[in-house]
Amino acid sequence: MLSLLSSLTAMPAVPTSEVLHPANLSWAGFILWMPLVSLVLCGLCAACKVKSKAPATITVICLGTSFLLTLVLWNGYTQPETILLFDWLQIHWDGGSFVANFALYVDSLTLLWMLFVTGLGTLIAVYASEYMEHDVGKGYTRFFAGVSVFLFAMTCLVMGDNLLMLYLGWEGVGFASYWLIGYFYQKPSAVAAAKKAFIVNRIGDVGLALAIYLIWSTFGTVQYDEITTVLQSEAYDASFGGWTVHAIPYLLMLAAFGKSAQLPLYVWLPDAMEGPTPVSALIHAATMVTAGVYLIIRTYPLFMLDDYALPTVAWVGGLTALLAATIAMAQYDIKRIMAYSTISQLGYMFLGLGVVTSYGAAYHVFTHAFFKAVLFLTCGAIMHGFAGQLDLRRLSGLRKMKGWKIVSYTMLVGCLCLAGFPFTSGYFSKDAILAEAFVTQGPGFEVLGWLAIFTAGLTAYYTFRVWFRVCAGPVHFEPGDELHGEDTSSFHPHAPRFAINFVLIVIALGALLAALPYFVPNETENLHGGWVAEMVHDSPARDGVPGVIVDGGQAEAHGTINYEIGHGDILGIDPHKAMYYISAIVGFIGIGFALFFHLYCRSAADKLRGKLLASRATRWLPTAMEHKWYVDEIYIATIRSPLWILGKIFSLFDRYFIDGALVNGIAGLPRVLARWFAPLHNGAIQSYAISMIGGAVLITLLMLFMPEIVEFLQSLSEQNASTEQVVATLGGGK
Amino acid sequence: MSLWLLLLLPLVGAVCVFLANASIAKWISLGVSTLVFVLSVLMAVQYGEWGSAGTGFASHVAWLSQLGITLDLGVDSVAMLLVLLTTLLTPLCVWGSFTAITSRRKEYYAWLLILETAMLGVFSAQDLILFYVSFELTLVPMFFLIAIYGGKNRAHASVKFFIYTFTGSLFTLAGFVYVAWQFQLSQHGVWSFAIHDLSQFASAMTASEQGWVLLALLAGFAVKIPVFPVHTWLPLAHTEAPTAGSVILAGVLLKLGTFGVYRFVLPMVPEAVVAYAPAIAILAIIGILYAALICWVQDDVKKLVAYSSVSHLGFCVLGLIALNPIGLEGAVLYMINHGLSTGALFFLIGMMYERYHTRDMNSIGGLAKKMPVWSFFMVFFVLASVGLPGLNGFVSEFMCLLGTFIASGSAPTWPGVLGPEYAAIAAIGMVLAAMYLLIMVGKVVFGKLKEPDIEGQHTNLPHDVSPREIGILVPLAALCIWIGVQPTVLTDAMRGSVEDVLAPYPLIVQEQLDKPETVIIIEKEDTHG
Amino acid sequence: MMTTFAPSALSGYLIVSGLLLAIGFIGFFVRRNLIVMFLCTELMFQGAAIAFVAVGRYYFDYSGQVMVIFILTVAAAEAALALALVVLLHRQNNTLDADAFGELQE
Repeated sequence: MLSLLSSLTAMPAVPTSEVLHPANLSWAGFILWMPLVSLVLCGLCAACKVKSKAPATITVICLGTSFLLTLVLWNGYTQPETILLFDWLQIHWDGGSFVANFALYVDSLTLLWMLFVTGLGTLIAVYASEYMEHDVGKGYTRFFAGVSVFLFAMTCLVMGDNLLMLYLGWEGVGFASYWLIGYFYQKPSAVAAAKKAFIVNRIGDVGLALAIYLIWSTFGTVQYDEITTVLQSEAYDASFGGWTVHAIPYLLMLAAFGKSAQLPLYVWLPDAMEGPTPVSALIHAATMVTAGVYLIIRTYPLFMLDDYALPTVAWVGGLTALLAATIAMAQYDIKRIMAYSTISQLGYMFLGLGVVTSYGAAYHVFTHAFFKAVLFLTCGAIMHGFAGQLDLRRLSGLRKMKGWKIVSYTMLVGCLCLAGFPFTSGYFSKDAILAEAFVTQGPGFEVLGWLAIFTAGLTAYYTFRVWFRVCAGPVHFEPGDELHGEDTSSFHPHAPRFAINFVLIVIALGALLAALPYFVPNETENLHGGWVAEMVHDSPARDGVPGVIVDGGQAEAHGTINYEIGHGDILGIDPHKAMYYISAIVGFIGIGFALFFHLYCRSAADKLRGKLLASRATRWLPTAMEHKWYVDEIYIATIRSPLWILGKIFSLFDRYFIDGALVNGIAGLPRVLARWFAPLHNGAIQSYAISMIGGAVLITLLMLFMPEIVEFLQSLSEQNASTEQVVATLGGGK
Repeated sequence: MSLWLLLLLPLVGAVCVFLANASIAKWISLGVSTLVFVLSVLMAVQYGEWGSAGTGFASHVAWLSQLGITLDLGVDSVAMLLVLLTTLLTPLCVWGSFTAITSRRKEYYAWLLILETAMLGVFSAQDLILFYVSFELTLVPMFFLIAIYGGKNRAHASVKFFIYTFTGSLFTLAGFVYVAWQFQLSQHGVWSFAIHDLSQFASAMTASEQGWVLLALLAGFAVKIPVFPVHTWLPLAHTEAPTAGSVILAGVLLKLGTFGVYRFVLPMVPEAVVAYAPAIAILAIIGILYAALICWVQDDVKKLVAYSSVSHLGFCVLGLIALNPIGLEGAVLYMINHGLSTGALFFLIGMMYERYHTRDMNSIGGLAKKMPVWSFFMVFFVLASVGLPGLNGFVSEFMCLLGTFIASGSAPTWPGVLGPEYAAIAAIGMVLAAMYLLIMVGKVVFGKLKEPDIEGQHTNLPHDVSPREIGILVPLAALCIWIGVQPTVLTDAMRGSVEDVLAPYPLIVQEQLDKPETVIIIEKEDTHG
Repeated sequence: MMTTFAPSALSGYLIVSGLLLAIGFIGFFVRRNLIVMFLCTELMFQGAAIAFVAVGRYYFDYSGQVMVIFILTVAAAEAALALALVVLLHRQNNTLDADAFGELQE
């Protein structure tokens, strides 16, 4: 482990003195400011009650500018840079300081993320300009303001040069997500979903906050480059940081699992589908949910400090992938299927991180962003056209309908990528992860690898279940429940127009072309994996990039942390090659099942379900899958309800014990005393006068006879003493 | 003398208000309180002690010289910030009461102005007795504000508020007098009540004496803050008080307690603070979680926000007794931020109440449909309160928790007696805060529009907030954003004072840590205390 | 030039003072009319005042006289307040009978 860290030093680390070039790159701040400008302009639109599509235009232009700037920045990228925008939180005191500036840290990892965040953000804003048009003048401005907030927060998250700025973005995207999920604020389910998303994410945020405290108290800084410097410094030894360095990765994990919807915090994501579909595509599929992956890649060296941190990530990811895939198989709402599929694919990414291929994870994030965006956007187009209909049993044969060809075939592209069909982008990125599970040797990684391959088969099945049901087969449709006053019988689906079709085609092309980076040769020696590997290689996560970790006699170092890095194998073949075949075969099997059950013999699927339900031994399987393994119910029963009951108990305790018994009890004492004296207050002045005079006389007498009284009292006590003496002597006599 | 001007102007204003016609009373008081605000801003600009430990605008006026009691005024940078908070909130409160108060208007505005004088007196007093007099004087106007203009149960609430806090602060007075008496004995009969003299003297007392003084002082301040078991007056007072009363109560009066801790407890009895800090921290954490869970089951919006104050102030207390600059600066920032965001929340609830005459979450809902601007501000301030980064609440909450987190014995420059475990448990409060506040927003702002039957109760108010009400909320919102983006301006400003207060602590903590057996004995005493 | 003051002369003053006190005392108890009761308390005041002056004079100590002036001032203030109250009470209940004002009782 130690030598692994020292290998970081061996890498051509960027000298920090050269990092600061605030002057020449300060324009990069506009990548951040443009969404904010858009937000302010949208706010103005709202204030002026604009009833046109102006907010959409503004947002698209601003986000587009951001994207172009990112492209320029990427084009001119040579080495990591820190760009200071302004001083944010700087607390200095005698003997220390806490510095978290509003500054950007631009390295290739940042750029990789920013390219698809701003690019897809722009495209999806274009799509939304048509998708949301029924709300022009009502919620239209609010929607685009929300998108702008999201892009701003996401940019902070990805580009920030310190963990506090990441935290700003982290909560910011959570808030934007809250805003947009709750877009249809009059729908109770949407409000509940928004709330749930924010609260579940908050649990993760607490983990992140605590991790930041720990990192700061251990490393004395929250800036990425300085953390790396500390890790590389010679002051580092085995006792460094004590327990804290072992706690940090787990807290970061909590944060990442919350934001990226992994076990046990994934429950908010399916509900988040209550938001408008462009939001689901942008936030809950392509960008925000990958923030967890970004966080772990960004802090990869910290995960290396604990032996079991990365295996935990791998196992959580693998199990989430499997669990979510099984749920996706049994859902009928196509958007929810996509949501569970997102969770499942995110699980793959974490699996990739866990089996030490940050490159594979990043590549999968990249391809997934495109193909999942396409899938969501096509779902959105269908929902838009069929008055909110999303049930795959009530839609069929879309590809034969007029005006729905583009939707059907772009959806097919998305499905192929998701299913890992050979030579699509998803095929390469998923293989990179699957193969690595067999290459890296860790606790149970081989089992995980086989589980992941099995999950890949399930993925292919549920993906094509959607496509064969909805797009293939005989033409048939029923409208959903958002008819806007139309009659069910006279319902005509309205096919998407230019903006939606254009965006679908562009992103579908992107999804296909996302396979290309795999073949782009890169300049670093020994590095396979193409352009994405190159981008990740330049970042803190370089240890998870193939070719870096393998070369140069590192095996000895990894022996101490349970990673036998060297080549493992699968069935005696090199996993990288074997996986091309295995995953293709598994994918075909999955698609084949889907073809049979959902295109050629649709009744067979229902029959199978009926059979499973009929038999007592197998009934639990479809029931549990359709009810999402009852995870929500379990959470409500074990966490929410007990806490609520506790709150009720506390509330009563506060009212009747603390306030009632203690406070009012003490306050009641004088009243009890007053009972004794109350009769004196009979309201007759003369009696008051008598008691007054009586009191005066008493005091006078006391003063006059004080010496006598004292004497008397003394004699009394002497008497007492003498009687005691007598008693004592008597007792002694007996 | 400018502090005197600041203090006396509202009093003069109160007299004018009382003499004037009822219909222009509100304009006079708005004018006077705005003038005071402008004056205080000018003073803040002139203030020469930002960032250093000194006391600015010091003035000396003899009063009862045989007993060493003076009318000395002066503000350090922390007090100056709180003075600004007070002078900002008062005109807003006056402005916010224009439509809400329809009867006995003259008295109302006069009491508000007198209250301002009393609060400013607390922050600027340099003499214990003057401090104490101002501290208690705040009770009188507040008592009348609740008792005359409050809700249905106002009589009970006002009496409870008065007696509860008054009883607590009597112990504080006893503590003060004890210290002054001891000082007099040591000085051969020369009395002094100057805060500076007594702080220096008290910090040299024996550990057990310090312990008793700490308990006496906390008896008053803990009730005011309020800390967990002595908080029950607050929800009641908040629920019954008129809007402006709640705003002042949450915005400034609660801070008198934390300010008292900052000004007296920390400098006077350092050894006792170190000994008792874990016990206080545990009470604060219990308060955070306990009140948060109670918030969750409330139906009354105002009561919910009131309990949330109990929960929030727990973070502030943690920051205060973290005994390092980051925690203490965070705590002071928390005082300001809580004043802004919770104050604004009370304003918003007041606006809702004026329109619907109910605060019950079960009978009202989905107001975003009818009051979009109001809803925007509601969500904004709830987020500020929840601690969304970029807004003010985040910075102070983060600093308080960070301060608590690093306040362990092993910290190199500022060792403390708390530690990561305290911060970790308190951080659960962050989740709970999001939970109860968002549930509240979900019910009141979002969802299906649900309005109570308001027939027969005509209001001249527009459906959504009026320009006047927006004018109240905008400055608060702007400050929330500004503090969220540029907190460094404030933390730099208070740095000198904070470090001055904390200066003796590292040594004392170190001594305590070096003598493990005494620590154990003191901790045993804790359980009795 | 101070003249001496025989003990017998002092006793005369004290007797007068005692009589005044006693008359006021008895008057306060047997009468029901608020104004009369109030006048009785004034009588007691003056009795006490005479005793102060006389004893002060006897011992050549001016404190007695100081005290008397103090008493007179307080009595004047108190008289103003008390009479105002009496007027108020009379307006309220249309009577000055002390027994009619029992509202202060528990």
